[in-house]
Amino acid sequence: MTGFLEYVPGNSLLHRMNPVAKLFCALLISVACFCTSNLIFLACVLIFDFALAAHCKMTRQAMGLAKAVTIFSLILAVIQLLTNSTGMVLVPLPWGYIGTGGVIGAVTIILRLVAAAVPLFLVMYVTKMTDLANSVVKVLHVPYKYAFTFTSTVHFIPVFMNDMAGIMEAQTARGVQFDQGSIVKKIRLMVPLCIPLLVSSVRKTNSAAIAAEVRGFNLRTRESGYKQYPFATLDVVSLVICVCILVVAILLGVLL
Amino acid sequence: MIEFSHVSASYDGELAVLRDVSFRIEDGSFVAFVGTNGAGKSTTMRLINGLLKPTEGQVLIDGTPTTELKTSELAQRVGFLFQNPDRQICNNTVREEMMFGFKALGKESPEAEVRADEIMAAFGLNPDDDPFLLNRGTRQLLALASIIVLQPPVVVLDEPTTGLDFRECTKVMEIIRRLHERGTTVVMVCHDMEVVADYAESIIVMSAGRVLAQGPTYELLRDRVLTQEASLVAPQMVALSLALGSQHPQLANTAVGQANTLSEMERALGLEIAEGGEPR
Repeated sequence: MTGFLEYVPGNSLLHRMNPVAKLFCALLISVACFCTSNLIFLACVLIFDFALAAHCKMTRQAMGLAKAVTIFSLILAVIQLLTNSTGMVLVPLPWGYIGTGGVIGAVTIILRLVAAAVPLFLVMYVTKMTDLANSVVKVLHVPYKYAFTFTSTVHFIPVFMNDMAGIMEAQTARGVQFDQGSIVKKIRLMVPLCIPLLVSSVRKTNSAAIAAEVRGFNLRTRESGYKQYPFATLDVVSLVICVCILVVAILLGVLL
Repeated sequence: MIEFSHVSASYDGELAVLRDVSFRIEDGSFVAFVGTNGAGKSTTMRLINGLLKPTEGQVLIDGTPTTELKTSELAQRVGFLFQNPDRQICNNTVREEMMFGFKALGKESPEAEVRADEIMAAFGLNPDDDPFLLNRGTRQLLALASIIVLQPPVVVLDEPTTGLDFRECTKVMEIIRRLHERGTTVVMVCHDMEVVADYAESIIVMSAGRVLAQGPTYELLRDRVLTQEASLVAPQMVALSLALGSQHPQLANTAVGQANTLSEMERALGLEIAEGGEPR
């Protein structure tokens, strides 16, 4: 079992692609989702996302992510429902009505966010963070310290999640009831826990920074890494397909 | 009394970490769980205070299954000291940290404040200090103090001496010893066999999620087959007396061959060894 954003080993097409190409493909698909509100297009992208996830044997992770994004996008969907009073009247409200336009808008928001988020997260799961950092340094000439900052941030997410779980467990053992009471009460109980989390985060990042520095972090340049990241046919074909998806999205957005 | 009856447990319903574990810990005893990493000791501790529920069998605290008790109820009966005090400490002053448990349980009172003051004085803690600026040993002491102040009848300690120097370790363990002498049941996980030998009355030896043996500390630590099976290294004094007994068969059944402590060895050899190690 793998943790959040933890590399999943494999030999799928996505695993074999150049990290930079993967990143660009994911970005192109995500941008495409925001270029059109065509529900059929968004549904097709979503199916494509899940087909990719199934190919990489990561359907479970993709489902988990889709669920989390859906919950988050529900807030936006509700706002859309209550404020977009267009189309046929479904439910009258004191300030307007919930109409078919609002419902379509809400569904569009959910589909768009899920379809845009899944490929970005898939890239994180199928790419080693070191490869991602090294490739953006080699191919895109991004300064190593920025690439390292990004990969360290991603690397620390599961670490901090684990820390938070440990801290909550320690407080539960002291009698704090996280599983009872209203949401406000739960938030009030959670606030003090930010202190140990913050302290442990600062300590960890400080230790990591010192450990990197004493091993010559500042001497690292683009030429330091021996591994090369050339673009293969697969990468070029994938990029062309993703550009086509973006063009279709733009055309649908302009024409419809 | 803590009783495990055919308990199995796993995390996320996956691989069983504990398998068919049964034992009983009487009130007022001082028991140490020993075994290698991954033996299931910490999982057993989490089962005792209800942070983990058994997948099979029952964990009974004073006859009540932990599955029928809320963790907050269990917190009043079982105090839990984690290996890392930084996961526990979450307040801006030592005093606030000491009172946190009372607040969580809704038991704040002037009496509680008096008790917190007494414990802080006994532990040598300054009420106004910032807990995050204390050294590792003092933070561990504070974490222990904030558990003890709630006066739970059972205290569970998950590797309480990890990361402490000898003096800090002795200070923590002496406080725990005094706590036990006042009638508190102490259950401890510890990798330091010298500490286990010095403080625990009895031990439970675990390996690969199972209990291999339960019994008096020195009796089990002298069992070479058992210590080998559980990959344990016997304390130096036990190793010395075992070595003397095996190297010199005439000593095997004498007090020298069976000594477990320095004082026993002194008596057996007719010596009186001074603090510095020189015979007087």
